[in-house]
Amino acid sequence: MSAFLETLQLGRTFGGLKAVDDVSIAIQQGELVGLIGPNGAGKTTLFNLISGFTAPTSGEVRLKGERIDGLTPHDIAQRGIGRTFQNLRIFPNISVFDNVTVGAIGHENIGLGSILPWQKAKSDRITQKSFEALQAVGLLEEADQLAANISYGKRKYLEIARALAMQPDLLILDEPAAGLNETETQHLASFISRLHQEGRTIILIEHDMRLVMSICQRVIVLASGRKICDGTPDMVQKDTGVLEAYLGVDE
Amino acid sequence: MDYYLQQLVIGLSLGMVYALVAIGFTLIFGVLNVVNFAHGEVYTIGAFVGLLIFVSFAPPLVVVLLVVLAVGAMTGVGLERFAFKPFRRFNDEATLKSRAMREATLMSSLALSIVAREGIELFFGSQFQSLPLKHMLNSPIKIGPVTIVDGDLIIFGTSFLMLAGLQFVLKHTSVGLSIRAVSNNPLGARYVGVNTDRTIAWTFAVGSGMGAVAGILVGLYYGAIFPAMGFTPGIKAFVAMVMGGLSSIPGAVVCALIIGISEAMSSIFVSSVWQDLVAYAFLIITLIFFPRGIFGGARERV
Repeated sequence: MSAFLETLQLGRTFGGLKAVDDVSIAIQQGELVGLIGPNGAGKTTLFNLISGFTAPTSGEVRLKGERIDGLTPHDIAQRGIGRTFQNLRIFPNISVFDNVTVGAIGHENIGLGSILPWQKAKSDRITQKSFEALQAVGLLEEADQLAANISYGKRKYLEIARALAMQPDLLILDEPAAGLNETETQHLASFISRLHQEGRTIILIEHDMRLVMSICQRVIVLASGRKICDGTPDMVQKDTGVLEAYLGVDE
Repeated sequence: MDYYLQQLVIGLSLGMVYALVAIGFTLIFGVLNVVNFAHGEVYTIGAFVGLLIFVSFAPPLVVVLLVVLAVGAMTGVGLERFAFKPFRRFNDEATLKSRAMREATLMSSLALSIVAREGIELFFGSQFQSLPLKHMLNSPIKIGPVTIVDGDLIIFGTSFLMLAGLQFVLKHTSVGLSIRAVSNNPLGARYVGVNTDRTIAWTFAVGSGMGAVAGILVGLYYGAIFPAMGFTPGIKAFVAMVMGGLSSIPGAVVCALIIGISEAMSSIFVSSVWQDLVAYAFLIITLIFFPRGIFGGARERV
């Protein structure tokens, strides 16, 4: 059986640096997988390779069996990979609602035609999707505010809502808990679990170990661009290679 | 008193023309962070296309305006294709915001503008092209004590409709939403499925269409169409954009109106040959006292 998303011997070098080196991972439909690793391990580069921001120097990325490496980011987004960013990339000067709508229109691809009467059904559907996405993250009350005017924590949820409005098959969250306090992180953890229980496939990059270990069924560990461990949270926590990567080798 | 009113009306219609041109600058600066130096030539091309249509078919004004709008939009798309797109081979943030990018497109758009201007001159000659008198928009209308020409009303009305249309496109269509998304955060837009290249082409189409219409309106108003006609309004629209805070559309429109009205009013105090200085004075004042634009302070630009 072919996996939902898989990378095959994926590699990317920057000059002489192997940022991602021969990484093969496979994600099954409906999984919630954590991706961890020390700073500079290549997590974000791996994300960028999957979402089309950087082209791989070797290897393949397959989504539902089809190769997607080398496609542009918006093509990949339209094929069903939604992502959020470590440093937020929302649209500050447009309303919260319209931020989400940008995500929702990606799939419909309606051009200037959206002002024509026979596109009414489509534009209603877009509005509907946007409302649902905002409702899912609990931002309906802020819908009319400028995105720049809501709190940092809420902007994190806004970015998730925007990705959800794309109706993605796979959701990639890049350090969603960064900058959140403990209560907010707990809230986020239960939110991500709920998304997972609703049947979504999610990859989570995170520094917060407790968050990853508590909600993910499977954890992949990267270090120096290589995959060094892939297993359940318990396995990963006991793996000597992982401990060495994080704590250094005891001489 | 009547004279002041009359100048006010003239100033308003003049300002509306500057606003139409300024919007092109503003929209393009918004999505790409670069100044399109060929924008004045789009205005000239609009005027010449309108002239050709008038001379050969003499259709109603509305038809001419629509054709000019379409030709202007296509010109904009072509301009983007040849002067801007070739420099966008890399799409990472550092490249998009780099000075090299800005300077390269500045030179390429300037080059294309020179080619366009000289091309028109080669074809039509550098002298004024006179429109058949019957097409000109200068039949006087008396409103109470004030005498204006129908051109003032037509310019004001057409520009107003186009500004309203632009607001509608930006607020209620997916293209408009994509344009706003790309000017807010191009990379974020790409990752939610917005085709940025197509959005940028649309932006050029919208901005250039409006600029071209401004060109033919002014041509019909003054009856003077010549290859270098785009330069002065281009500069003034540029000033309006800078005053308005570079990427704010309402700011650019208000500042364009301020410039237009001030120019018309200045003829009360000084000879009209000094009129063009008004815009430059505004530019200097803005750069010294409001370096982020009069309305730019509230808007965050990264």
